[in-house]
Amino acid sequence: MNKIAYINNKAFEIKEGETILTFIRRHLGQNYVPTLCDAPNLEPFGSCRMCSVEVARPGNGALKTVASCHTPIEENLQIYPDSESVQHLRKNIMELILTDHPLDCLTCEANGDCELQDVAAQVGIRKVRYPEGRNHLDRPMDESHSYMRTDLSKCINCSKCVRACDEVQGEFVLSMAGRGFDSHIIKGLDTSFADSYCVSCGACAQACPTAAITDIYQSAAKHATDHTRTVCTYCGVGCNLEVASHGDSILSITAPYDAEVNQGHTCLKGRYAFRFYNHPDRLRAPMIRKNGKLEEVSWDEVYDFIAEKLNTIKSNYGPDAIAGISSARCTNEENYLMQKFIRAVVGTNNIDGCARVCHSPTALGMQRTFGTGAATNSIDDLKDTDCIMLIGANPTAAHPVTGAKIKQQIMKGKTLIVIDPRRTDLAKMAQHHLQLKPGTNVAVMNLMLYYILVEGLEDKKFIESRLDGYEEFRQQILNLDIARLERECGVDRNLVRDAARAYATAPRAMSFHGLGVTEHYQGTYGVMLIADLAMVTGNIGRRGVGVNPLRGQNNVQGAADMGVQPHQGPGYFDMHNEGYRHMYEEVYGVPMPERPGLKIPEMFEAARQGKLKALWIMGEDVVQTEPNTHAVREALKSLDLFILQELFLSDTANYADVILPASSFFEKSGTFTNGERRVQRVNRVVDPLPGTKPDGQIVVDIMNRMGYPQPEYDAAEMLKEIAQIVPFFKGITWERLGENGLQWPVAEDGTDTQILHTESFKIGKGRLYFVDYEESTETRENGAAFPYILTTNRELEHYNSGSMTRRTNDALIRGEDFLYMNPEDAAEKGIRDGEKVKLSSPRGSVSIRVKVSEVVKPGVLSSTFHFPEVMLNEITSSVHDTQAKCPEYKVVAVDVAREN
Amino acid sequence: MSKNLSHLSGRKGLTDNLFERIGELAAKTGSPSKEDLTKLAEEFLIRPASLYGTASFYDFTRPENKGKKVYVCNGSSCLVAGTQDELKKSIGTHIDTTEIGEMCCLGRCHENGAFHYEGHNYSGKSAAQLAGIIEREIQDGTDTYTVEAMGAEILTTPFPAWEEVTAQLRNLLQTPRETILDSIRQSGLRGRGGAGFPIGIKMQTCLEAAGDLKFVVCNADEGDPGSFSDRYILEQRPEWLLIGMLIAGYTIGAQAGVVYVRAEYPASIQTIRKTIAILEAKNLAGQHILGSDFHFQFKLIEAKGAYVCGEETALLASIEGQRPEVRVRPPFPATEGLFGKPTLVNNVETLANLYYILTHGGDAFAKLGRGRSTGTKLVSLDSSFRRPGVYEVDMGTPLQDVVEKLGQGFSRPTKALHIGGPLGGLVPVHKIADLTLDFESFAQQGFLLGHASVVGVPEDYPMVAYLEHLFEFTAHESCGKCFPCRLGSVRGQELLHKAQHEDYTIDPELFHDLLTTMEKGSLCALGGGIPLPMRNALAYFQDELRAYFKENQPVSTPKKV
Ligand SMILES: Cc1cc2nc3c(=O)[nH]c(=O)nc-3n(C[C@H](O)[C@H](O)[C@H](O)COP(=O)(O)O)c2cc1C
Ligand code: SF4
Ligand code: SF4
Ligand code: SF4
Ligand code: SF4
Ligand code: FES
Repeated sequence: MNKIAYINNKAFEIKEGETILTFIRRHLGQNYVPTLCDAPNLEPFGSCRMCSVEVARPGNGALKTVASCHTPIEENLQIYPDSESVQHLRKNIMELILTDHPLDCLTCEANGDCELQDVAAQVGIRKVRYPEGRNHLDRPMDESHSYMRTDLSKCINCSKCVRACDEVQGEFVLSMAGRGFDSHIIKGLDTSFADSYCVSCGACAQACPTAAITDIYQSAAKHATDHTRTVCTYCGVGCNLEVASHGDSILSITAPYDAEVNQGHTCLKGRYAFRFYNHPDRLRAPMIRKNGKLEEVSWDEVYDFIAEKLNTIKSNYGPDAIAGISSARCTNEENYLMQKFIRAVVGTNNIDGCARVCHSPTALGMQRTFGTGAATNSIDDLKDTDCIMLIGANPTAAHPVTGAKIKQQIMKGKTLIVIDPRRTDLAKMAQHHLQLKPGTNVAVMNLMLYYILVEGLEDKKFIESRLDGYEEFRQQILNLDIARLERECGVDRNLVRDAARAYATAPRAMSFHGLGVTEHYQGTYGVMLIADLAMVTGNIGRRGVGVNPLRGQNNVQGAADMGVQPHQGPGYFDMHNEGYRHMYEEVYGVPMPERPGLKIPEMFEAARQGKLKALWIMGEDVVQTEPNTHAVREALKSLDLFILQELFLSDTANYADVILPASSFFEKSGTFTNGERRVQRVNRVVDPLPGTKPDGQIVVDIMNRMGYPQPEYDAAEMLKEIAQIVPFFKGITWERLGENGLQWPVAEDGTDTQILHTESFKIGKGRLYFVDYEESTETRENGAAFPYILTTNRELEHYNSGSMTRRTNDALIRGEDFLYMNPEDAAEKGIRDGEKVKLSSPRGSVSIRVKVSEVVKPGVLSSTFHFPEVMLNEITSSVHDTQAKCPEYKVVAVDVAREN
Repeated sequence: MSKNLSHLSGRKGLTDNLFERIGELAAKTGSPSKEDLTKLAEEFLIRPASLYGTASFYDFTRPENKGKKVYVCNGSSCLVAGTQDELKKSIGTHIDTTEIGEMCCLGRCHENGAFHYEGHNYSGKSAAQLAGIIEREIQDGTDTYTVEAMGAEILTTPFPAWEEVTAQLRNLLQTPRETILDSIRQSGLRGRGGAGFPIGIKMQTCLEAAGDLKFVVCNADEGDPGSFSDRYILEQRPEWLLIGMLIAGYTIGAQAGVVYVRAEYPASIQTIRKTIAILEAKNLAGQHILGSDFHFQFKLIEAKGAYVCGEETALLASIEGQRPEVRVRPPFPATEGLFGKPTLVNNVETLANLYYILTHGGDAFAKLGRGRSTGTKLVSLDSSFRRPGVYEVDMGTPLQDVVEKLGQGFSRPTKALHIGGPLGGLVPVHKIADLTLDFESFAQQGFLLGHASVVGVPEDYPMVAYLEHLFEFTAHESCGKCFPCRLGSVRGQELLHKAQHEDYTIDPELFHDLLTTMEKGSLCALGGGIPLPMRNALAYFQDELRAYFKENQPVSTPKKV
């Protein structure tokens, strides 16, 4: 029998552990009980008392007034949520609130979008009977910040903002100060928003029930005619966004509370950095370079030009003289189309994507060890893990919503191990921070494996039943030269041992890694060792464990899934295998190329050698983002035809023969796959900016021009074709994806998968690989002349080359790249904070401003490459991961000197 | 209350205590500097806003406290005794008036005229020695008051020889926890801090709660103006308390005991510090107590001036260095208390009874008293009695006996007794005969035993002014978290003020609505409790209050919504 309780004498089923408020809302609707201090993503607080109800326990019968938001439901409880006494109480509380609140609703910017107003109407407030008394109506406004606003004369002291900053973002920028009637919201040490530590996540503004804390966009939302749910285009977290728009104007963005990925949270990029979409710099017409100058042309002209040029090159030099670089910023369907175009229409395997420069080692390393190159678990597993190991990742800046979630877990007492050369925000909170020398992940992982095996902390049962090659692996690990590894990585072996113990003995340990693992000479090996660690400790195939790459771009997982790599087509089928080629041919109706294709660095190399004649890049600024800019420029200059599909004229555009103006993600539909394999619907919010077309449509148009019949770009239709080919998309349809998407593999009946490898690995048993540490050729060869190691990092406000974020107010918050330098090094070189320095490597030099900071150890420098003004990649190296060819952005031998 | 801040503060716990650190930063100038707060925040992996939020809460760390030298008591007893205006004036002749602050109740209610100067409390005759005190020639402000028992002597009896106590504790450490708990449950001992909740139930919850780390916290924040019975134990019988905590700690499996003593009791802080040192020297505190596997560390925390810190959840937040705002329950402290760990929070007097129960058995204790109110109760009588002091009486003793036999009648014409602190009931003198000193009798008559402090309201003190004082007290002490109390206390004070000083009469329905809103809507017993004395006054002093209400009608008949 189900347990019940009564609302107004009517029986309803209760759920164990829920509050009276949740119980009532579940049965009678969200607005049945008014609240002011409650929010779906915050702990019950109990300050407004608006949610009061009368209850009577069975038997004793006496009526009692309780706040429903924090009173647990009980079996057979009688609840009267709208008795006369309750109505009276609510009205009287509202009357008290209004004694200290401006009564100028009609002129308030929140008018029509104000919880206080709604609740006042709901409880039916009459006039305020109290004589005028002390109040706080004269508090000044704060307009200091690029996005955030306060007008605390409208504050009702519900503390939602403080709690959002604490319980959601974990930043503690806000607090109540003072006591009683004098208690008031402060930012920082009672400063302005601009001077506070605020990271502009907007959680407080979304939580605030009045216009006391808002942002520069919020008040416009009341003019919205449409609200569209879509997915953020920036990082691989894949936050859902609710976009308010009016016609072709985007007014404001909030985060849906029911989004499984982000539960009402975003970072400033997702919520505020949207004004690039109609920026004056947006490209609005196709262009062809004529007499050295880009000139606007019609779509017909540009299509004819491209089709004819490509056909000529193909017939003169063969299809392998043509290559395409697809984009992890575009939808799955568009990536699928791009690879289809290159393979089926051009007839070559020369297709690659920006995953090459970020997580290609992850895909490869995890395929080798587990059989599947994707996160084994889900972000939600954080709730159930006991230990989090973060390797070469700074999620509070690069994956902010996941970073915030990790921080929440650590603040609740879970163990955190950080392996990172930088003392990141999370490293400061970690119980174990292994601050290794950049490029020595493999050494540290091996040390950890060594201690786990020496101390007998391995999971023998798991090893026995699920793994191959353990005995040999064990011997190799035990034979390691520990002293040498310790010397190389520069971390005290005891610290490594303690971390190894913490990881191995935690009932459930979850690892996350980022580009600090992959963008290395030994990138793929680093990933394989992370997999080894998880396997020998049995941290695979359960909730709260696993190996979880923090995917960089919004759709880097999806681009790879869709076949954007030379050796594997959609669904990761090997192009060298005749059977698989045949399978593709059945669907595409044309022969598939067999010859191995080029990876991005190989494409540039082939271009410089004159073998590659034409390149089509969809949405990537390779000049700013690929390493060793000089070599990239040379490559682009050598091409006969360089087609660039973009939102803005980037530095790369200087070398383009053809520019194709694309539409942004707000202007098209499709799907993105986030870092936890979740395929989610991207929905068109506004029509394509006049003169632009969605990337997918452009590819379709060219396919048709070149004689391949391809129907108009339509995400739902495209998904049908993808589901035919990609086994793990089998059960995916546009309708089934719903609001929150599905995590692949999705079975035919639509069941999706939160955790991989629960029973067995895709390759049967898991494979342990042994690899010893080897120093990067970069430092081996250049270390003597260039004694510092530069490693690259990301800042919260900007995304990659910054082409979008630099065109928003984010640039007002952070307007340039900085070089972080330890105070000891700065003192030794006589460099002062804020001064510009010359940073040089064997490739060249750049000028950059210094921030003296403990974030790096002596001998290590760190910088971002968000800004073209610095062009940091002028000095990064051409060293690549030996396995996946991912560039080593994270270790650059440099020297630094005061300018002039 | 923030769970995150609890855990972050808990990382350093009691050894490097955040609240103490904030206190230390305030010591220099009266309020911590922003630079210091920023540095401290970094150490604790948080941000300075939270620490500023904390510092700005307490009377003795908030920015307004900068430069204060003398603090004059503004508690109810000193107020109605009428000693304070004169006192302030005299102090003003020695010290700049901007350097005079206020403190709420130094526990000198038996002689009034209380003030605090440089770490010492003074009262009564000290007013006559002001010059010497300010010049630091006189530093002895020791007061004396009568202490007597009428019935069993549990708390007022002298502490026995240490050998005897040690022997008893050796026994304890060999007795299973459950046995001790059974005995405590049998005793029927109920909390003496106001709410009267059986300690046995809380101890059982703590014992059964998951986790290895548990705490005992003694609520020695005795904030009710008019009460000084905890102060008596803290200063005269500190051993009863600390040994009681040790017994409680052993029973629930706790590793540490925190004594949270209000800053207004500097002498109590000294005696507790000394007594902890004695226990440590005797191996009755610290590691391996009496050679056993039981470890129990004492920690003394000095409060910083906020009445609401007497409320248990605020008190825990205070120890953690958070803003001491009341938090919702569940979770109760017994399952998630200090730093998120199971915690037993009890009043001084409650804990001080445990040694008696241990040595005499729960049955013996349960035989004392009346009905569900077992044992004895300390009562503090203020200067409105001929013989003020602290008295131990069996629960159930007629109030008349307390007033007449112990207090020896009134020292001045008195119209009402305010019993149980500001949130207690206002007992008109004609109701004294109807009451016996126990939880049930008071509740049945529409009053509240509370902590059993007694303040006499003089015949000539206007009831309306006393009620305004109560609202003002609530407004000053409200943590500000819940809307009814934060706003209602101020509006209540304004209404009563306006009615006295302006041509304004209060709408009785509005006043009634205000009281009901606070009573039913408040999160804790501060906002929820203050309507009780108001309603008592409206019921028993109608004639005196009539003039301040519309149509001379102080009591409204509730109307339909
Ligand atoms: C506003 C307020 C102030 C309180 N002040 C005190 C106090 O000063 N001392 C005390 O022991 N309990 C005080 N309490 C009661 C405590 O919340 C708690 O019930 C008590 O410490 C539990 O101990 P006990 O069961 O031993 O009484 C106060 C409660 C409230 C609501
Ligand atoms: S925007 Fe985010 S970080 Fe800034 S104050 Fe609000 S919740 Fe905190
Ligand atoms: S600013 Fe808004 S969210 Fe914060 S306390 Fe005030 S009303 Fe509540
Ligand atoms: S950038 Fe990443 S974390 Fe930020 S809103 Fe977009 S998806 Fe979420
Ligand atoms: S009743 Fe007053 S003291 Fe208690 S929680 Fe509410 S505001 Fe704070
Ligand atoms: S919603 Fe329950 S008190 Fe505010």
